[in-house]
Amino acid sequence: MKDRITPADISRGSAGLCRIEPGDLAPLPPPYEDFNEAVLKPLAAEKIKGLETSPDDTLAIGIAEPANKQEEEELVRRFLAGLKKLFEKENNWTFLQPLLLSMEHCARCQTCSEACPVFEMSGRQEIYRPIFRSEVLRRIYKKYLKPGGRITAKWTGDIDLNWKAIARLAELSYRCSLCRRCASVCPIGVDNGLIAHEIRKLFSQEMGIAPKELHEKGTVLHLRAGSSTGMNPLAAKDSVEFIQEEMEEITGCKVEIPWDVQGADILLLHNAGEMLAWPENVGAFAILFQAAGLSWTLSSEAAGYDAVNYGLWYDDVQFARVAVKHADIARRLKVKKIVLGECGHAHKALTVVADRLLTGDLNIPRESALVTLEDIVMSGKLTFNPQKNDFPVTLHDPCNVVRSMGIVAPQRRILGKIAPRFREMTPHGVNNYCCGGGSGFAIMSGYNFAEWRNLVSSRKKFLQILQAFESEPAETPKYVCAPCSNCKGAIRDMIAYYHAEERSHLYYGGLVELMVNALEGMKKPIIHFGEEPSWK
Amino acid sequence: MPQIELAGKIYEVDEDGFLQELDKWNEEFAQAYAHTEDIEGPLTEEHWKIINYLRDYFAKFGIAPMVRKVCKDNGIDMKKLYELFPTGPAKGACKLAGLSKPTGCV
Repeated sequence: MKDRITPADISRGSAGLCRIEPGDLAPLPPPYEDFNEAVLKPLAAEKIKGLETSPDDTLAIGIAEPANKQEEEELVRRFLAGLKKLFEKENNWTFLQPLLLSMEHCARCQTCSEACPVFEMSGRQEIYRPIFRSEVLRRIYKKYLKPGGRITAKWTGDIDLNWKAIARLAELSYRCSLCRRCASVCPIGVDNGLIAHEIRKLFSQEMGIAPKELHEKGTVLHLRAGSSTGMNPLAAKDSVEFIQEEMEEITGCKVEIPWDVQGADILLLHNAGEMLAWPENVGAFAILFQAAGLSWTLSSEAAGYDAVNYGLWYDDVQFARVAVKHADIARRLKVKKIVLGECGHAHKALTVVADRLLTGDLNIPRESALVTLEDIVMSGKLTFNPQKNDFPVTLHDPCNVVRSMGIVAPQRRILGKIAPRFREMTPHGVNNYCCGGGSGFAIMSGYNFAEWRNLVSSRKKFLQILQAFESEPAETPKYVCAPCSNCKGAIRDMIAYYHAEERSHLYYGGLVELMVNALEGMKKPIIHFGEEPSWK
Repeated sequence: MPQIELAGKIYEVDEDGFLQELDKWNEEFAQAYAHTEDIEGPLTEEHWKIINYLRDYFAKFGIAPMVRKVCKDNGIDMKKLYELFPTGPAKGACKLAGLSKPTGCV
């Protein structure tokens, strides 16, 4: 049996703290048993030269080793200075209160551990336990920030603080997808997801340490070029023009996608990744909005055509910059409301967290597209023929939309009208499991992190999907409806990784595609299973 | 920053082998790199057409175009594109064209 790792071990030794051995991962059913003995391929020596050792054979950030002792001491000093700021109201306007409550009140009952898909699927690796990283932070906080903490640490749980511990803690904050399933089951309301978020924030805001996909190629690129994809306004317009042509070719329906319409009722914010990776989603929204006669527009202003706000996952300052930009674009366009497309974290960012930021004329009404779409369906303006969607469908609940915001029923009422062979996953709604790609994981692929995601953090969702369709023959095409770009990315990758298109005929897409696929009057289907149209 | 030596020259690449200094790209780079992307022998005219198309698009728009657009603008289908670049358009073709790895939620 392996020695059980404890929070105090975070500062001990210089090797990894955990290794997933063959057979550790939760087993998959047939025909996927060949993945049951899988382990991560080791990181190549030349790729990790000069980097801090991984706590678990993968790397999300890849933190450079300090050059000398002075540099190391300076980093420890900056960490402690940043930690102090996390607990000051002038410096933590977003989450001080829940952080304080979460620091003070954990009873170590482990209800959270049983709820965490990463902990469960990894074969219960101690370092992935939701309270592991929280307890490390809690001990450091109590010892170094509370009066008399160095003395009380002797019996409340001691920890030595050194650079090794800090670097490991930074990496560990990226082994939690911030899905907050743990928080939803905690009997006293401790939010270990929030603690992971606050650790990320400390490292980014105070020490400039963050995964490059989120910061340098994420928010920084978003603010500089206009989109985290790197798309400038010209590229966004070129892509959407192409989508219009494609839509006409694929579905036979001619759409005009409006740009920069002053005074439109709705400013629709898409995740710009949709334009490049899932153009049907952008096209399907246009078909539905146009058919329903809505007054709407896209914005071609930099950042106005990309709803993402990666700051939500790691940095309040970057978060605020992007959120204010979004609101200001809507203000100047004089729209009545902002509608967020199928992007989960953009929902939480602009409708929930930004609520503390947007005041006065920036406080423009903001709405989930799921609600707008339900209104369209229930208005009776459009006619749907559910028989066109004559294939098994299940629904993935994006954590940010469903658990965080409580939007559970609208998407189901829509499916009730368009998907006769719909079945739920178990569990679902606010008890759903994360796709494994939350909090930026879906776009983080440096080193072997994508493999870790597919093997560990996406594993529970993969099992749930297989289970939802277990009564269907392998050769029947099946549709996983995932109304969130990040979730779609994670589901696409898990389908490819486990060869699930070949083995189970699994396909995936958004909600609007299913709606357009059932829309009366369409000449051709928008959904295809490989080369095959979903109806003829 | 990892480096790679191709045809006697050193290039800075990211951990997945994407060129980091776009202006250092040249045809020898693409040719010497082709075998790591499962392309046998010298690059053909069809390969160059795609590579040059990607570079032109990137110079104008700051991104690689969507895959369907690559196919349409070059009059080929997806199958042909994968025949030319077996490791895929995003990984293989963009890498040889010296474009950086796609970013954002794609």
